[in-house]
Amino acid sequence: VIWMEMKAVVFCTGLMLLFAWLSPSQALYFHIGETEKKCFIEEIPDETMVIGRYRTQLWDKQAGSFLPSTPGLGMHVEIKDPDAKVILSRQYGSDGRFTFTSHTPGEHQICLHSNSTKMALFAGGKLRVHLDIQVGEHTNNYPEIAAKDKLTELQLRARQLLDQVEQIQKEQNYQRYREERFRMTSESTNQRVLWWSIAQTIILIITGIWQMRHLKSFFEAKKLV
Amino acid sequence: VLKVSLSLSLFVSVFKCLMFGWIRASELTFELPDNAKQCFYEDITIGTKCTLEFQVVTGGHYDVDCRLEDPDGTVLYKEMKKQYDSFTFTASRNGTFKFCFSNEFSTFTHKTVYFDFQVGDDPPLFPNENRVTALTQMESACVSIHEALKSVIDYQTHFRLREAQGRSRAEDLNTRVAFWSIGEACILLVVSISQVVLLRSFFSDKKTTTTRVGS
Repeated sequence: VIWMEMKAVVFCTGLMLLFAWLSPSQALYFHIGETEKKCFIEEIPDETMVIGRYRTQLWDKQAGSFLPSTPGLGMHVEIKDPDAKVILSRQYGSDGRFTFTSHTPGEHQICLHSNSTKMALFAGGKLRVHLDIQVGEHTNNYPEIAAKDKLTELQLRARQLLDQVEQIQKEQNYQRYREERFRMTSESTNQRVLWWSIAQTIILIITGIWQMRHLKSFFEAKKLV
Repeated sequence: VLKVSLSLSLFVSVFKCLMFGWIRASELTFELPDNAKQCFYEDITIGTKCTLEFQVVTGGHYDVDCRLEDPDGTVLYKEMKKQYDSFTFTASRNGTFKFCFSNEFSTFTHKTVYFDFQVGDDPPLFPNENRVTALTQMESACVSIHEALKSVIDYQTHFRLREAQGRSRAEDLNTRVAFWSIGEACILLVVSISQVVLLRSFFSDKKTTTTRVGS
């Protein structure tokens, strides 16, 4: 009986792993060139978690299709925060999962590029990248949370609503910070327009006066006036 | 036997979790250089209701060409120079749907484009079988609050993008005002000085010719 149970466990684990591997194919994908760098921007408030998952497939010229998986194919992931400081710069395999939490609100840049030298052998190497980036409350895996904290269905729904509301609050705080920056920029423009108009009018008047006085003294010296 | 069936059901539910763990809404913001075209592909099953929403965040006249094709190559949606749009369709067949954003009409402005591609409905919170009974009042209230909050988040996103657009225009204006003011002041000074110098040079030449004629 124990042996049968073990067989069932192994079979189920195998099935689970198979579907875990297959399911990324449902994500959005796009093509990039060999050394091309593709960047995505995520404008997020602070203390927000971002999870990115990707899967790469290499174009096989002989088969005329994309290989299901290519071991040895690597992707370099670089993430920059709004101050252009690098917060993550790592090499992952052909399937990867990267995660980071923002500490400053603003535009974060997520850049991917393949640095596989093997691809140089395949002329016209094209790479298919499946990508899925989830931000904030979408990173929560609710069935997992329910199992871990032993929540009833209603409690789980309430939990989901709480997470959503928290995300809305964070976004609104961020909105207030951005609006402040916008207001500062507009006020600075206003000041600059005001001061530069006054300065230019003064320069104009002064140069006019200087010109007339200079020419008058010049003509008087030349005995033409 | 009971233990086996229990562990089996646990694994089935966990595997289902993994299946539904991959959320089918893709939201990305990317930079589209001038004269470039970027295409995205997604495999969709027949009968799924999908929505494509896009908005241009920064760059030039804030417009982009967008094109959505089904697996046969039939164009389902095609708009030129659009700033913001939303398109809902139901997949008429299985296969790979393709949508492209093109900035080929622009010579030197690169654009930042945001898009949100929603495929199907959200995965259920509880991937278990007993959904035969109708939702209780509390549960249906939770569901409607959830939907309302989703639309709030969606509006917030579009508001954020429009604010980013406005802010980038304001910052642009600010730097332009600074440069042009300094530039104009310099031009003013240069022109006034050169006017005087030129005028002086006219009279200086005449003086020498008249003296030569006189003597």
